[in-house]
Amino acid sequence: MNRLTIAWRNVTRHRRRSLITGGLVAFGFVSFALAGGFMAQSFDGLRHNAIRSGLGHIQFADPRAFEKSEEKTLGFGIHNAGAAIRTIRANGAVEAVMPRLEFYGLVSAGGTSIPFAGVGVDPEAEQRGSDIPATIKKGVWIRPDARTVVIGHHLARLLNAKVGDNLTLLATTPDGTLNAIDVSVGGIAEIFIKELSERYLALPLPLAQELLTAPDTVSRISVLLKEPANEAETAASLDASLHTLGLGLGHRLWSELALFYQQVRVLYIGIFGFMGTVLVVIVFLSTINTTLMSVTERTREIGTLRALGARSGRIASGFVLEGALLGTASAIGGVVLSLVITLMLNLSELRLPPPPGMAKGIVIHVQVIPSVYLAATLTMIVTLAIASYFPARRAARAPIVESLAHV
Amino acid sequence: MTPVPLLAGRNLRKHYPMGAEPVQALRGVDIDVFPGDLLALRGPSGSGKTTLINLLGLLDRPDSGTLLLDGQDTQALSEDARADTRRDRFGFIFQTFNLIPVLTAAENVGYPMLLKPQPRHSWRAALSSIPSAKPQPPAHMQVRARELLAAVGLTGKEDTRPDLLSGGQRQRVAIARALANHPAVIFADEPTANLDSHTADAILDLLQRLNREQQVAIVVSTHDPRVVERCTRVLTLHDGAILRDAA
Repeated sequence: MNRLTIAWRNVTRHRRRSLITGGLVAFGFVSFALAGGFMAQSFDGLRHNAIRSGLGHIQFADPRAFEKSEEKTLGFGIHNAGAAIRTIRANGAVEAVMPRLEFYGLVSAGGTSIPFAGVGVDPEAEQRGSDIPATIKKGVWIRPDARTVVIGHHLARLLNAKVGDNLTLLATTPDGTLNAIDVSVGGIAEIFIKELSERYLALPLPLAQELLTAPDTVSRISVLLKEPANEAETAASLDASLHTLGLGLGHRLWSELALFYQQVRVLYIGIFGFMGTVLVVIVFLSTINTTLMSVTERTREIGTLRALGARSGRIASGFVLEGALLGTASAIGGVVLSLVITLMLNLSELRLPPPPGMAKGIVIHVQVIPSVYLAATLTMIVTLAIASYFPARRAARAPIVESLAHV
Repeated sequence: MTPVPLLAGRNLRKHYPMGAEPVQALRGVDIDVFPGDLLALRGPSGSGKTTLINLLGLLDRPDSGTLLLDGQDTQALSEDARADTRRDRFGFIFQTFNLIPVLTAAENVGYPMLLKPQPRHSWRAALSSIPSAKPQPPAHMQVRARELLAAVGLTGKEDTRPDLLSGGQRQRVAIARALANHPAVIFADEPTANLDSHTADAILDLLQRLNREQQVAIVVSTHDPRVVERCTRVLTLHDGAILRDAA
């Protein structure tokens, strides 16, 4: 016989009551675990999307490009870009180098002209480092040697254009003159953010440089790494290599550039933090009611134990131990329940409605995050222990004769 | 030579608030309890028997007066020190038995021993006993608990829970529990009130034998004449005062 044994027997003394309390705690645990797992999955998805949208793990550009917008085309462009690309590509940690030439212009088809946000890319590098080539729903991704472009499916709809149709691109060159080229639609990309889809136009980098009359010039160079964990270290190494070229480039990591990711992350943490707090309060208030009932029922027993020589601290700690044990048992139940529900959810491939600005819903996928499970377990144990402590402390300090006379 | 009292109460007063007028439960009682006493506190309901037992057993504090245990004033003792004193020097037997329902008879008897400071066990050792259906208390406690149950005639009932025992058997467990830590005094508040006459006689035989063989002082509050007959000293209380102290 030891204190744990006695505490466990007291927990199982009123099985139905303990089961109800334990069920509530397990429900709280499951809510924590699922919310945490869903949140982690969302963060991973957002991170992946941010990096694979062309941002890369590291981005090199004129330092001014990171601070403000260009007032004229390629105002902050990287000249002698080929040398910079070759230097970056020579680094063993680099998976893909994605030079990008970003500009705005007008695209015409038939009698319709629509503004577009153009991006000149290295088609092969994009296929390795970006998810956009995989979103082509009609036609094919651009080829380096072809005078074809890929447009967003909303832009295609606005232009009433289909694969093979001819387009005219009009843009302002760095010296302020207008230039135009004729291209054809090589592919139509399904881009889920409607505003982006209405403006998206990708073309081979040489074609973009021809349109802007800016040979060997790009806006930015995105770099995808083999080991994302080494972002900062590789960025410093590349900085040192590029410094010898005298291009005066600066760099940013993806996390510094992905503002949407950061905003969503803060929003999620705020929402789930608030929900978690509400949940803990509900569990606390519910369990304190149960423990208060249990303590009141055992008032005479408490008086007896004190008469036998148990100190009030020992009695209060006994109730805390009971709360902690119930919390532990409930958390174990919560772990099992969470794993089962997680498995069921992931197998069911349920789809959430599309978020604002997105055209397609998100498939629910919940991760199992050990740190979330551990935090939920500790939270539930501590919540129950605290919920037990206050009524027990009061009862353990009550006059013994009053406790013994309790009916 | 005059024997030294174990407990010496002087001018003990106690009142309880009850409505507008406080009830005077004890009005300046003087009492000595000597080693080996078998002392009956007799009197009608409301005479102050239970209040006096509560004060002597350090379950309550007097409003005024002094209570010496082995010559030392108990008023200055902290709550924890009073708890330790009850654990080490006193035993209690209650009218309603007051056994712990989740413990077996042997575990109920062993519980006061568990309250004594124990050598520290590792968490691993403590946790290892959780899945065990029959927890294993330290060997010496288990042996003593079984010896005490045998002494009160409950051999074979060691692993029985209180709800499966008769009233007499429960009171025997309570007596064995009161003896667990070798007390100097056992306080019994109406120990036979909830028992039939046959069982009550058996319990009184047992208390008498323990008093005689182990020299444990026993203070019994009662209004049962059969209990009074068995005691070597009888204090008669009335309206919170001692009317008579007779040997």
